[in-house]
Amino acid sequence: MNKRKMFLRMITASLLRRRSRMLIALLSIAIGATILAGLVTVYVDVPRQMAAQFRSYGANMILMPAEGSCLTEVEAEAAKQLIPESQLIGAAPYRYVYLNMVKQQQTFAAAGTDFDQIQRTSPYFKVEGRYPSGAREVLVGKAVADLVGVKENSKMTLTWFPPSAEETGEMPADFEIRPGMVLSGQADGFGMSDEGSSKQPVYVLLTIGDDGTIASLTVDTSGESEGYGRLCSEEDYTAQFIGRDIRELELGENVDALTGATRTSEAVVKAIRNAVPVEEGKAPLIPNTITFTVTGILETGGEEEDKVYMSLADMAAITGQADVLDLMELSVSDTQENLERRAAEITASGHAAARLVKRVTKSETAVLGKLQALVFLVTAVVLVLTMVSVSTTMMAVVAERRREIGLRKALGASDGAIRTEFLGEGLFLGALGGLLGAGLGFVFAQVVSVNVFGSDIQFNFWLLPVTVLVSMAVAALSCLLPVRRAVAIDPALVLKGE
Amino acid sequence: MLWRMIKGALLRQWSKMLLIALTIALGASLATSMINVMLDVGDKVNEELKAYGANIVVKPRASSLLSEIYDVEDEGAELQQAWLQENELKKLKTIFWAFNIRDFAPFVTVSAEVNGTQVPVVGTWFHHHLSLPTGEELDTGVRNLRSWWDAADEDWIDEQREGADREIMVGTTLAETLGIRKGDTVKLTGRSAEITATVRGVFDSGDSADEQIWAPLDLAQALAGLEGDGTENGKVSSIEVSAITTPDNDLARRAARNPNALSKADYDTWYCTAYVSAVCYQITEVITDSVATAVRQVAESEGEILDKTQLLMILITALSLVGAALGISNLVTASVMERSQEIGLLKAIGAHDKAITAVVMAEILITALAGMVIGYFAGLGFAQFIGKQVFGSAIDIKPVVIPVVAALISLVTVAGSLPAIRMILRLDPATVLHGSKA
Repeated sequence: MNKRKMFLRMITASLLRRRSRMLIALLSIAIGATILAGLVTVYVDVPRQMAAQFRSYGANMILMPAEGSCLTEVEAEAAKQLIPESQLIGAAPYRYVYLNMVKQQQTFAAAGTDFDQIQRTSPYFKVEGRYPSGAREVLVGKAVADLVGVKENSKMTLTWFPPSAEETGEMPADFEIRPGMVLSGQADGFGMSDEGSSKQPVYVLLTIGDDGTIASLTVDTSGESEGYGRLCSEEDYTAQFIGRDIRELELGENVDALTGATRTSEAVVKAIRNAVPVEEGKAPLIPNTITFTVTGILETGGEEEDKVYMSLADMAAITGQADVLDLMELSVSDTQENLERRAAEITASGHAAARLVKRVTKSETAVLGKLQALVFLVTAVVLVLTMVSVSTTMMAVVAERRREIGLRKALGASDGAIRTEFLGEGLFLGALGGLLGAGLGFVFAQVVSVNVFGSDIQFNFWLLPVTVLVSMAVAALSCLLPVRRAVAIDPALVLKGE
Repeated sequence: MLWRMIKGALLRQWSKMLLIALTIALGASLATSMINVMLDVGDKVNEELKAYGANIVVKPRASSLLSEIYDVEDEGAELQQAWLQENELKKLKTIFWAFNIRDFAPFVTVSAEVNGTQVPVVGTWFHHHLSLPTGEELDTGVRNLRSWWDAADEDWIDEQREGADREIMVGTTLAETLGIRKGDTVKLTGRSAEITATVRGVFDSGDSADEQIWAPLDLAQALAGLEGDGTENGKVSSIEVSAITTPDNDLARRAARNPNALSKADYDTWYCTAYVSAVCYQITEVITDSVATAVRQVAESEGEILDKTQLLMILITALSLVGAALGISNLVTASVMERSQEIGLLKAIGAHDKAITAVVMAEILITALAGMVIGYFAGLGFAQFIGKQVFGSAIDIKPVVIPVVAALISLVTVAGSLPAIRMILRLDPATVLHGSKA
């Protein structure tokens, strides 16, 4: 039997014969290793998981039109691509217009958006009912709903009025009148000054016939007085315009004014003369009314309650203009520095101007930093205390074998041989306990992750060798100390038990 | 005789007993610090989450929608017919959960002409001093409700400083458009007054406030003629309140829909718990003609994060408690087994099993008690260390931790030693003394 065989036999024999004691030592190391692996895994993964939780505060980045251009869906999409998909929680496009409920004489801000994305970027939205899923469905803010008295499943008729010529800045340009052309125009009418609220211009929509004159004419006078100005949209009045050249109309000369509605008649003529061709793919500049079904009432406690939400497709249908956005809200899971860098990248790309929502990013950085520090300190305190406790147990187990050490020494074993043997035993226990503990620790980390965050934990596989090495080191160190003391004493004294 | 034996054992084997005491002290300090931190982490994180600003907004009951939809133009102040009374703000500190109300500030948005441009002027409290009827003194304002603003300390208006009533803060975008800089003098022309004010500072808020002027409440009220008669009698359009609240549960959600539909017992539970809906309800009770609503973006997320943090801490605490318990019982078992020869000897010279058990247990329990006392205070130290390092404030020490830790340590000590003693006693003394088994 050579020396090495003897060494191995001594270690295994000691482990096997002294089962219960070794079990205690092994258990103690395994506990230490479990706490090490478990807590460190949790600590490493907590910032990622917590950051995801903080996204419940909503969007932290906003894309706005780049300098001197407008934000189209294509541009927003291109800008969005600059953020790694794994970090993008959601991206909700918004387009705002004012819509009217003519009968109730109320105006609200309406937003066209993507409801799937809204649920990701604004998880704090509370909807009584459901989010719209089909066409012609709206989600109504609570304040609007209370004001106009709509409930889930009610109908809501919304009208879009085109922006006035002063607002758009588009004055009738010089253009050639061609057969088949569609023109639309508007002019200020008499209005409903007595009631005051829904003062709207008079709108016209006309087509040009083969001979270059008006072939058909629709007049919208819904903003005018009932029984007076509104009569100007009846066929009795509009018939006289058919077959006329739009550039030669002159009220009182070749066009008759309607009795009792002279101002409205003037407005109709002015609107026709102001009319501009309707561009390909765009809706004419006349009011558009669509009836929606209310699918839900939105509660947020914020200004979102003053708005009406619909899909971008419906927004395009009612305004006749697609592919325009006012802004896009992004919810990105990343640190403030990285967010700032990404925002700068997006702005530099020229697709859109990105800015951070300070309220969310700054507060998140502050709070998340504290939470991270909390878990770090707790982990550190628990680890130190546990490791000390592991080594005291190991020391107790080894100290018990003082007699054995004394006996061996008396039989002629060298101090070095005894130390090596105990060290070997300690390392073996450390490795076994470390492996066991690492496994248990990962199980613990997974349990924490699933219970607290509802998602799988990310394992760091470098933690396995680290746990095993630390366990071995702690076990070996706590073996060596008592062995050294036992070896240093005269065997006779040790054997006597003093 | 018993005491002599115990004393003897404790004194003679002091190094072994010290090891036991040390391990128990470690376990006890671990348990003490973790339980204390766990119990207080909710409150601490809640404080931190106040960085997100107000979680309750109070508005007049009949406020019009229009003023918010149309950007406030020159008739802005007139559009809103309903107001809250400035002098009622003090009452916020008289509600049941007054202690939980951290900060609050009134707001009034008026319009004024500056350099020929109409700009919105927000009047509010920045660092306002209030003397409550209860004799309490407090300072409150937007300083803490807008923690995310980029503005240096000296850029903030402080009403308690001389001359602050003629100072304004300007949003960065607006400052750029108007070409205003810090220290400039600006003439504000409101509907009913013309006021010259100094720009205290320019702030960057990252939201719509960047296009506004923020001014002391009295200044904004004077611009629009809303100051009322006497001091603090003006009108305000909304109040933001930042309150420490308990995350909503099922009861709170039911109550939020209609508090009157609850049973008496449920109503009392709800009213006396700091749910955001209960705090809102109590605010509505004291402020005339008001509606208090929870800002869901803040209130909901707060609850979410609090719940998660608490659960995380509970699980970590559970792991460390299990670790501490196993560690202690492990060591105690080891120390009992180490003394198998002594126990065998006692038995051989005729000691009863009961007497031996009593002696050994008493020794260990006395050691455990000493370790526990040291561990408890060490644990408090660790807890305070964590509290100071992380949150910059002391962890609240809960007396309930003492019996919990005491019970835990006694239980694991007994559980670790008793089976081991029994096992050794069952063996033949000769075998034990010979040392061939165990």
